Amino acid sequence: MISRAVRIGALVAVAAAAVALVLVLPHWLSDAKAAEFARAGCLFIAIVGLNLVTGYTGQISLGQGALMAVGGYTTAILTANHGFRDLWTIPLAGLVAMAAGFVVGLPARRLSGLYLALATFAFAVAMPALLKRFSGLTGGSQGINLFDKALNRSTGALGHVHVLGRTLATNDFLFYLTWGIGLVLAGAAWLLVRGRVGRAFRAVRDSEVAAASSGINTGFYKTLAFGISGFYAGVGGSLFVLVSNWFVSPSTFGFDKSLLLIVGAVVGGLGSLAGMALGALFIQFVPDWAGNLSSAPGAPSVFFGAAIVLVMILLPAGLGGLFRRLAEPLTRRL
Amino acid sequence: MGKSRVLFSVLAALVVVSAASAGGSSTPGVTSKQILIGGTTPLSGPASAYAAVAKGADAYFKYVNDHGGVFGRSIKYKYDDDAYDPSQTIEKVRDLVQNDDVFAIYNTLGTEQNLAIRSYLNQLKVPQLLVASGASTWGSDYKKYPWTIGYQPSYRGEATIYGRYIANARPTARIGILYQNDAYGKELIAGLQRGLGKKAKLIVSKQGYDATDTDVKSQIARLKSKRVNTLMVFATPKFAIQSYSSARLLGWRPLVFVNVVSSASNTMTIAALASSKRQTEGSISLAFLKDPVNTRWKNDKAIKLFKTILKKYNGGEGLTDYYNIYGMSSAFTLVDALRHAGKNPTRASVMKAVTHLNERNDPFVLPGVVIKTTPTSRFPITQARLERYHNGQWVYFGPLVHVG
Amino acid sequence: MIVAVDWAGVAQQVVSGLSSGGIYALLAVALVLIYRATGVVNFAQGELAMFSTFVAWTLTQHGLAYWPAFVVTVLAAFAGGIVLERAVIRPVEQASVLTVAIVTIGLFFVVNGAAFWIWSPEVKSMPNAFSTRPIRIAGVAFSISDLGIIGVSLLAVLLLWLFFRFTKLGLAMRAAALNPDSSRLTGIRVSWTIALGWGLATALGAVAGLLAAPPLGSFDQNFMQPILLYAFAGAVLGGIDSALGAVIGSLALGVFLNLLGTYVSWVGTDLRQAAALAVILVVLLVKPAGLLGTAAVRRV
Repeated sequence: MISRAVRIGALVAVAAAAVALVLVLPHWLSDAKAAEFARAGCLFIAIVGLNLVTGYTGQISLGQGALMAVGGYTTAILTANHGFRDLWTIPLAGLVAMAAGFVVGLPARRLSGLYLALATFAFAVAMPALLKRFSGLTGGSQGINLFDKALNRSTGALGHVHVLGRTLATNDFLFYLTWGIGLVLAGAAWLLVRGRVGRAFRAVRDSEVAAASSGINTGFYKTLAFGISGFYAGVGGSLFVLVSNWFVSPSTFGFDKSLLLIVGAVVGGLGSLAGMALGALFIQFVPDWAGNLSSAPGAPSVFFGAAIVLVMILLPAGLGGLFRRLAEPLTRRL
Repeated sequence: MGKSRVLFSVLAALVVVSAASAGGSSTPGVTSKQILIGGTTPLSGPASAYAAVAKGADAYFKYVNDHGGVFGRSIKYKYDDDAYDPSQTIEKVRDLVQNDDVFAIYNTLGTEQNLAIRSYLNQLKVPQLLVASGASTWGSDYKKYPWTIGYQPSYRGEATIYGRYIANARPTARIGILYQNDAYGKELIAGLQRGLGKKAKLIVSKQGYDATDTDVKSQIARLKSKRVNTLMVFATPKFAIQSYSSARLLGWRPLVFVNVVSSASNTMTIAALASSKRQTEGSISLAFLKDPVNTRWKNDKAIKLFKTILKKYNGGEGLTDYYNIYGMSSAFTLVDALRHAGKNPTRASVMKAVTHLNERNDPFVLPGVVIKTTPTSRFPITQARLERYHNGQWVYFGPLVHVG
Repeated sequence: MIVAVDWAGVAQQVVSGLSSGGIYALLAVALVLIYRATGVVNFAQGELAMFSTFVAWTLTQHGLAYWPAFVVTVLAAFAGGIVLERAVIRPVEQASVLTVAIVTIGLFFVVNGAAFWIWSPEVKSMPNAFSTRPIRIAGVAFSISDLGIIGVSLLAVLLLWLFFRFTKLGLAMRAAALNPDSSRLTGIRVSWTIALGWGLATALGAVAGLLAAPPLGSFDQNFMQPILLYAFAGAVLGGIDSALGAVIGSLALGVFLNLLGTYVSWVGTDLRQAAALAVILVVLLVKPAGLLGTAAVRRV
């Protein structure tokens, strides 16, 4: 009982610390850095969703970037052509991407392992081509640039935002927006995996046959995991468009984005929420740091790749695993 | 309740901080010693060969700096890697403008990349100078985007010249087009149709490819089977070379028009190696710059200067690279504009200078090419010459033509 | 939707598709080799092939002819694959499959970047392996190069099959892949058979790169990436644990891509990747373990 109380206390403390960190961080950040952190927040949301499919349900998804595209384009199209207020499109983007996620997850009823990975991969590869093909809706290869359209929007790309009677620099506002939504969605994911659905997810991951024989509809839960992760990707993609100066094009969410997201998830440490945040920061900032080391052609890639390999060799369970390893003796002592 | 009050006081403190940092200054990026300009270029990723454009320009600025700079100020050109991804262009340019306080954005490479930042820069009234892309929008949409100006002849204008030439010299041609399936390829097609005018029906087949494709073998086979005898290659160097080699493998030898993006001598040399000398013989293209490989310019002063500058300021790299000379020519024009922008340049004065260019002394362009702009005619380079590939060498033919 | 068909044109597209497919097949078999040994898709497979191609190009720049450079490079790639496995895969051998896969993604960035760093980004040209002279059969122009690529691809796969079938080492490798624990008991050094698998796969990749580069006319540091995508698709279509399946899947994919792009006008060239992958998906829904793959053994 006492240990349970301690654990709950520790969790509340961690959650409070995370909220406090998000609240005060912009204080030390320059405007452009706040935008970069906001971007990392979008990636964080998508990675938390990916974690549900890959970390908890055990299905490799190479299509998370394409689901972000669905969300991003939903926001862009609704605000550009249908007069929606930008912030209202965020949940809608999540829902549309969720529907797309269900569709992507349908083959999961029959396929598993790499065969399923190919299905998600096909979706990721096809997405940019489809976006270019249906240019009437999507603006083709040039994408949609909403910057100078008179829009019904709450987030300007410049200047300040008025919210709750306060005035905030836009990038600080975007920072709060992405990480605020990110924390809420991470909390929801945390509750989800601890409930009945999460138990079913893990049962599917550990053994499909055993899960099926204990009465779990494995096909349903696999598809559900894809759908929910689609919602996360959609919200992340929608915010990504807001953070990227209101611009989206097919190359914004290319196949490389899907690969980077899975790198972020695994480097962060599948199954650990704090790890997901570290993974998002990793894929947002390590390439930049690598670029600062040397501008020789190719050198940044070498450093970035080496960083990935090193983290995986030193911490096979990811950066989040390090957290846990550090925290474990602490809680044990308690 | 107390908690939320704490939160809001934190927020309020932030607002004060950001308001304090937004204090006004004179001209951003200009000090008594230096003018800081910024831009992006693909240092990594599929298009990294184009990074030579920025490197050529940078080398030229360093050369100018060592010779007194502009009104005693040295030019610092900070170019960041966008990996040819427009979303990254936005991120990097925003960083350059808001963090580094650059004076202007210059020579950013790529059509979609520049489109992505144009509205942002215009809203902030930051000059977007000498855009490294041939889309015609840089010159024609100045009413909406007064802070933007391009540099090279437009793709549309280029292909119009090919169209006119074919309509006159090959009125019975069967034209086939290999094009990159994006804004760049489509603008070239539009230009070709404009130049052909009533003869546009000579076009018998259009085959697109995606920049991420492996090869264009299948498209070339298709064009051949449509009995095309005049092949328009509206493709980037890699795919242009492939169209020669694939045609060769099919035993097909059409007359090839290869667009400026891919007609540099070093590209053509590889194309000839990959196919055969006969295959590239007679190809037609357009030129506005001196090609450093062309033996015609072997003893030319500008090419010698070009090589000296690269040896001294670029580690001797890119001596045969057309993109380097493009960058150098563009840098020449920027330096010229900065000189005309006055002793204390402002963003407005450099915009004025760059829309009143009248350069007859750019050594890197073909003799006779005048770099000229007015506030209502914003294509700096509108002159070029047709050229034909003969014995492994481009040979100019016909007079200077107007590319509009 | 289907445009009029001319049979000479179709034949041409089929042969050109088979020759592309032959290259996908080599890389696909390399993927299968590593998959069977470690259960992982090697994302760096294409980049390793690219790197080998640049090594060979450097050799040809120093005066070596194509085929001698080919032999030297393939041997070097074999050694390089083994060294790489020992250096970066061995340390994560016990970790999850996903961890190993991410290491190969890291390797992808390292190898790609290193190639840019060592060789400048300008496109390069590889001397031709085969005569580029076209030959005409029944009014259709075939290139000797296309036929040569198909021939060498099949030969390489055949040699590999003979190795696994008839040599002691090959048998040991198969045993180690199928059942590592009991193989260990019979004295097979399983860890080294994995390294050997990497060596063979990298060598096979080098063959793919070296055959792919000349007919492309030019190549750069990214030229193997789309080829890897197709090889992955071909391998999965054939059944990821079957080498023969990978060959058949890749050849089918090569032909299929060409025919789809050329003759189904709605698909055109821009949607052909997407359409080909969609069709593979449909095939997989009917046969969930690929054409020749064995259904996954389910743990209970």
